[in-house]
Amino acid sequence: MHQPLLQIEDLSVSFPGAGGRRTQAVDGVNLSVYPGQTVAVVGESGSGKSVSAMSILQLIPTPPGRYDRGRIQWRGGQADGKAAAQTGPGGGDAGRDGGGGAVDLLGRSEAEMRAVRGNQIAMIFQEPMTSLNPVYTIGMQIMEAVRLHRPVRRAEAEAIATAALRDVGIADPSSRMKEYPHQLSGGMRQRVMIAMALACQPELLLADEPTTALDVTIQAQILELLRQLQREKGMAMLLITHDLGVVAENADVVAVMFAGRVVELANVRELFQQPMHPYTRGLLKSMPVLGRRVDRLDTVMDGATIPEDFPAGYRVLPHDPTLPPPTRYGGPDAALHEISPQHWVLCTAENDPARATATPPRLAYLRDPASAASTS
Amino acid sequence: MTERPADELRDAAEHAGTGPAAEGPADPETGSGAVPGGNGGEALESRGSRGDEDGGDLRAEGTLRPRRSYLAGVVLRTFGRAGAVVGLAWLGVIAVFAVFGPWLASSHPYLWKVRTEDGSAAVSSPLVEHLGPADVTLLVLTLLVLPGLLVWRRASLGRRLGVLLLAAVVVGVSAWWFVQPPATVVYDRYRAAERAGQVEWVLRPPIPFSPSDRQRDRPEAKNLAPSSTHWMGTTVDGEDLASRMIHASRIALAVGFIATGIAVVIGVLLGGLMGYFSGWIDLLGMRLLEIFEAIPQLYLLLTIVAFIQRGPYMLYLMMVIIGLTSWTGYARFTRAEFLRLRRLDYITAARASGLPLGSILLRHMLPNGIAPVLVSASFGVASAILLEAFLSFLGLGLVDEPSWGQMLSQAVGAGGGFVWWIALYPGLAIFLTVFSYNLIGESLRDAIDPYTQKKAG
Repeated sequence: MHQPLLQIEDLSVSFPGAGGRRTQAVDGVNLSVYPGQTVAVVGESGSGKSVSAMSILQLIPTPPGRYDRGRIQWRGGQADGKAAAQTGPGGGDAGRDGGGGAVDLLGRSEAEMRAVRGNQIAMIFQEPMTSLNPVYTIGMQIMEAVRLHRPVRRAEAEAIATAALRDVGIADPSSRMKEYPHQLSGGMRQRVMIAMALACQPELLLADEPTTALDVTIQAQILELLRQLQREKGMAMLLITHDLGVVAENADVVAVMFAGRVVELANVRELFQQPMHPYTRGLLKSMPVLGRRVDRLDTVMDGATIPEDFPAGYRVLPHDPTLPPPTRYGGPDAALHEISPQHWVLCTAENDPARATATPPRLAYLRDPASAASTS
Repeated sequence: MTERPADELRDAAEHAGTGPAAEGPADPETGSGAVPGGNGGEALESRGSRGDEDGGDLRAEGTLRPRRSYLAGVVLRTFGRAGAVVGLAWLGVIAVFAVFGPWLASSHPYLWKVRTEDGSAAVSSPLVEHLGPADVTLLVLTLLVLPGLLVWRRASLGRRLGVLLLAAVVVGVSAWWFVQPPATVVYDRYRAAERAGQVEWVLRPPIPFSPSDRQRDRPEAKNLAPSSTHWMGTTVDGEDLASRMIHASRIALAVGFIATGIAVVIGVLLGGLMGYFSGWIDLLGMRLLEIFEAIPQLYLLLTIVAFIQRGPYMLYLMMVIIGLTSWTGYARFTRAEFLRLRRLDYITAARASGLPLGSILLRHMLPNGIAPVLVSASFGVASAILLEAFLSFLGLGLVDEPSWGQMLSQAVGAGGGFVWWIALYPGLAIFLTVFSYNLIGESLRDAIDPYTQKKAG
């Protein structure tokens, strides 16, 4: 069980930017997700969270975007029975390049990706208002996804869809099946999205800011629902958010992203108690505390937030006068170093000569049942 | 940009359900989760076991008003307008004429009992014997297939349209093979038999003249003004104008629909691919589109028609040429819609759930992007009919088959005088048909435009 389910290695994605240069939206991201684990990716808008998640399913439109480097290993080492059976000899080729039978999702063809999408890895999106097709009933949309991946008849698909809607706490699911998305509220639509994603029982759920567009009470319900379903089905989850409260309550492992790079990676308790990277510290400091009166809220940093605007060679310019000069944390030669056990920080080697070699993070922290119960 | 469709839909939902919504809670958003089970809608919600408090902000009308898709709403709004109803009514009349033309106006009796040379009498139906493949195909489709599809409610609209198209092809091809009306038709023989006293009894259509019955036995029937025998008068050749008008409606409808159909299929296919893939496909497609836009449609038609010998295939050639030169508008509309749609979340969600490309393009994008094409197509049908009338008026179109434009050209007859009835009726028919299509197009445009909806509501 100590094989990661998903392992992103050195992923780089770029888009054409101003003046013919290409903007690195994602720049050498390393991340792994173990079975049953919840990995949260936090960061501000444009830090590459969503692009990383979309890359897993090859959802980045490739004429403007481009996968520059990296590999995304899915079910490393395990036989990819489901996909190989459906894709034939092509699946075998994809299996060979990873070494040891691992499969690189980026090397897969569109047809091979289709066997993974929705079936093994499902995704839910930020905007429940626009994530459902307005011209079909929600029942038709869920059944379409079910029948795509499972050899079931119409009636069986209907039963599966109804059960999925009941699972996500929708009352009277069989009559809801016949309704159109505009007849449902935001919270209901996000539940429908989750039902649709889980109807095929994926092993990994990519949740791209699933609660951002919802109001706070519904947010809590949706997160609770996700946690509960995850426990029931033993599914791993990659939770993308910019809400640190959501991270603290839901995640096992946290990756902080900034400007296309993972700047800090640790388990959730470690990260909140001992933030190392200046950006993480700034992020945690900028959270307003209830009841404390301040003239101005703290900001993460001043100035540059768009990667193109950074001075040459610098990736991170945190604004924190108590910290040493930023050169030690940023720069093109910065890499993830294991500063303390199971705690990686993006910095240059000079910061810690004892660990001059960067170590690719392999964080196999599994949620222990006691802590899971206490958080919910 | 991504918020626009959501707004539209919200508008649509609010617009469509004004009645029940007004009686519901004042503000559904503030009522969310606060008082579960407060009204009918929420009471329905709270039957669930857990976590359904957010059901409270479900709009109250969601549970009360009938379920209806976006497209169904558009259709209902379109035909809720007086103009569209008038237009549809006229097109309905034309369609009835087109399908039942041979039964309404024909020299062949429905049934008659006639004595032959040897003195024996036999009942026969010359009209049925003389039905052509096209007549039989339309009849079978209208009387058997169409009602069947209307009853078959479980299938989606797209599937029903597909079955209709398939049935049209199958019935059409088999009718082409098996229905063989007599090659030579003598219209005079019914009247001659009657004059000779051989007919015991006869049942004739309301207009007992075929469109190309030149009434050679009645030389006095040429160029007659409207009367009780010839309701719309006769032409210089002695053909009954009312009969020709009825039979020409089939050609008018066919030219409009088939030419526009060809154009819409080409335009939607190319535009959809250009919009979805963008990049170099878009670049090449747009250049091709610009080349086609640069071709003057009328002069191309005139040139081709001038080179090709007249024949019954002229009509189909005209349809194809009109279709091949007028797809660019539809391609532009579809491309713009697909460029917008491909960035929408539900298309990304559809890709993320592993749907194949064809399904995404045809099932998820097309129904959402087809509305502007439909508006433009209803104007396109009108302009195709006008174009055919224009060519026929110039004498470059159909020769034997009746067509409104060709009839118009006979208004200034061989005698040199102006024949008012030949000018009036075909002119009126062309005007009304084009007007009807424009009325429907206008209503359709208003129905999908959220801004006019707001004004109306």
